[in-house]
Amino acid sequence: MTTVAQFWNRNRIAGAVYVLLGLLAVLYFGVSNPAKNDVTLRLTADTSLTFGARPVIIVLGLVTVAVGVALLAVLTARSHFAWTAGVALGALVLAFLFWGTSLAKTLHTIPVEALLYGTLIAATPLIFGALAGVLCERSGVVNINIEGQLLVGAFAGALVGTMTKSVWAGLIAAGVCGALMAALLAVFAIKYLVDQVVLGVVLNVLAFGITGVIYERLMQPNAAEYNNAGQFKPWEVPGLSDIPLLGPVLFRHNLFVYLALALVAAITFALFYTRWGLRTRAVGEHPTAADTLGIKVRLVRYRNTIMGGFVAGLGGAMLTIGAGVTFNKEMTAGKGFIALAALIFGRWSPVGAMLAALLFGFADAMQQFLSSVISPVPSQFLQMAPYLATLFAVAGLVGKVRAPAADGKPYVKG
Amino acid sequence: MRIVAVLAIGGLALSAAACGDKPSSNNGSSGNGKKYKACMVTDVGGIDDKSFNTSAWQGLQDAKAANGNIEIKYSASKAETDYQPNLNALVTEKCDLILAVGGLMTDATKAAAAANPAQKFAIIDSNIPAANVYSMQFNTAQAGFLAGYLAAGSSKSGKVATWGGLKIPPVTIFMDGFAEGVAHYNKVKSKTVAVLGWDNKSQEGLFAGSFTDQNKGKQLAEQLVAQGADVIMPVAGGAGLGTASAAQASGGKTSVIWVDADGCKSAAQYCDVFMTTVVKNIAGAVKDAVVAGADGKALTGAFTGVLGNNGVSLAPYNKFDSKVPAELKTEIDALKKDIVDGKIKIESPAQPK
Repeated sequence: MTTVAQFWNRNRIAGAVYVLLGLLAVLYFGVSNPAKNDVTLRLTADTSLTFGARPVIIVLGLVTVAVGVALLAVLTARSHFAWTAGVALGALVLAFLFWGTSLAKTLHTIPVEALLYGTLIAATPLIFGALAGVLCERSGVVNINIEGQLLVGAFAGALVGTMTKSVWAGLIAAGVCGALMAALLAVFAIKYLVDQVVLGVVLNVLAFGITGVIYERLMQPNAAEYNNAGQFKPWEVPGLSDIPLLGPVLFRHNLFVYLALALVAAITFALFYTRWGLRTRAVGEHPTAADTLGIKVRLVRYRNTIMGGFVAGLGGAMLTIGAGVTFNKEMTAGKGFIALAALIFGRWSPVGAMLAALLFGFADAMQQFLSSVISPVPSQFLQMAPYLATLFAVAGLVGKVRAPAADGKPYVKG
Repeated sequence: MRIVAVLAIGGLALSAAACGDKPSSNNGSSGNGKKYKACMVTDVGGIDDKSFNTSAWQGLQDAKAANGNIEIKYSASKAETDYQPNLNALVTEKCDLILAVGGLMTDATKAAAAANPAQKFAIIDSNIPAANVYSMQFNTAQAGFLAGYLAAGSSKSGKVATWGGLKIPPVTIFMDGFAEGVAHYNKVKSKTVAVLGWDNKSQEGLFAGSFTDQNKGKQLAEQLVAQGADVIMPVAGGAGLGTASAAQASGGKTSVIWVDADGCKSAAQYCDVFMTTVVKNIAGAVKDAVVAGADGKALTGAFTGVLGNNGVSLAPYNKFDSKVPAELKTEIDALKKDIVDGKIKIESPAQPK
């Protein structure tokens, strides 16, 4: 028994799955329902790459098989798990994308630039949300309330932005409202020791309720005075925005995308290389020890939770004044929960959370593309894809993750 | 003692909440005597949905304006479970006509009509074959056909697009008509204008999964524009405003065909990107039905809104009036006549039978 269990370690199981999936891809996409038309990758406005889809798909499927075989035979060390998963699943996804495009009804051209641009746009609110989660949870407060914080941010951005006729005022109001929401979370979680999961859910309902009522009573009937904020204009980074492919994808956005990327860098640095970060992590892992060393546990938690709310509020504003659309009831549509999944998939690290958010964003952009060219995959299934990817990533790939040890446990001086 | 107090307060709160839960209703007028009372039950979207509930209520108001002897009221449904109680409450109130708004209310209306054979009902977007139910449906594929032809004729890139809120017949019927219109243009002119976002043969296409998510509407528009589409028809209520916003940001490169009610009136801030609107004239049909009922005419059978009776139509070109070539306008007028005369058959499987 034990020898069987030892042989089938995580790498070998994954290897077997990759061999199977790779073979299926080769047989189905390459043989039984083969890609027919050539696929064109349009990299920039005037550079494109056209190739026969079928041989490329077969090669990609074989790459997945090869990675699987390697995992079964030689790469059994734990350290090989992550990159092999990336290569094997990445090849599979590309094979699927090329196959779907090749058999599409209308066009067989993949606009790479737009696909990646769309990925980043879809991922940005999730990055803000997940960073809010990092700030709270690293200090030991569970934040199920990200959804509500995003929502009040979107709401305040639109309302204040319209009333003051300044998107900047809207942005600040969005952050402040997110922080206020988080302050409620903090008071009940830290002072009154309420169960943090239940509390987060209740506060989400509160956010739906408040924004919903004001929307219906004030913003919807008088949209011109209260729900008509402008938009942050895109700012092209001089020089960088002219780089082929990368320029349009990365450097032609408005404030929010740059802000999200900057925050990822800043929070990573602060969390791992500053005194504040050390204290935050200490409080999240072992509050008693931190307290013994003279760190004010509750103060750190209050501060971090409220900072997290501010970040989530800014992210919410992207949905209204960042996109130039009006506020709408429950417009966050579950983004806060996907952000939570990204946080866990990213193992409570800012960079990991960002990559997880990008994965979701890519799945979303890819399903939109495949639906629009009428690929052979039913649209209902495609619409599910981003959520399936998230589920699969969190449940199948992450394996055992360790949250900060004191996450969700209120600290009572004893 | 404390527990008792908590329970008492909790009980009070609950009973207060229960009072508040009564379906809200609103008397359009407080007439007495022998007035004709037309009542409607809204769908969950509510009276301000800027879509079919608003249009139906507008129809009732128009009817009242046309005939002072008509009294109107509505009951709002907050959930699908409210349909049946709301309909029953209106039966008790002795409304002369009870209007159910939306195909989701089909089963509830069928049951209420069977239980109250003497009561007159009407329903929008559904067909109930009962003697006391007047069914109103709209063949928007006919107007969508004209929109598709217009889009194909106006596109410079040779690619046009449509996308929907959800894959349900009242949505896909617009998209079917649009795709068939483009195909007709290609056939007549020997062109190859491509339709992104919907294939009427396989009934597959691009959907936002929402009628409210404007961000999604914007992202979809950006994707479609990146693939070359320069005319887009979103069939997704408020979510479509995201596409209008993206088109406005394009500075005239992308234009939008709106649906339901003339976009230059219902979403006037985007009027400069609306080429036209595929109009579904719910208000007109409701008004005509109520006025006829008040005049003592029997309301039975079914009404199908088509181009011929103005139940569906193509709105004015508004700000595109000077941009759409006169020749194309003439062709569209001729097409309209051909559809009315039955020379052109529309094949959408979502059409009302």
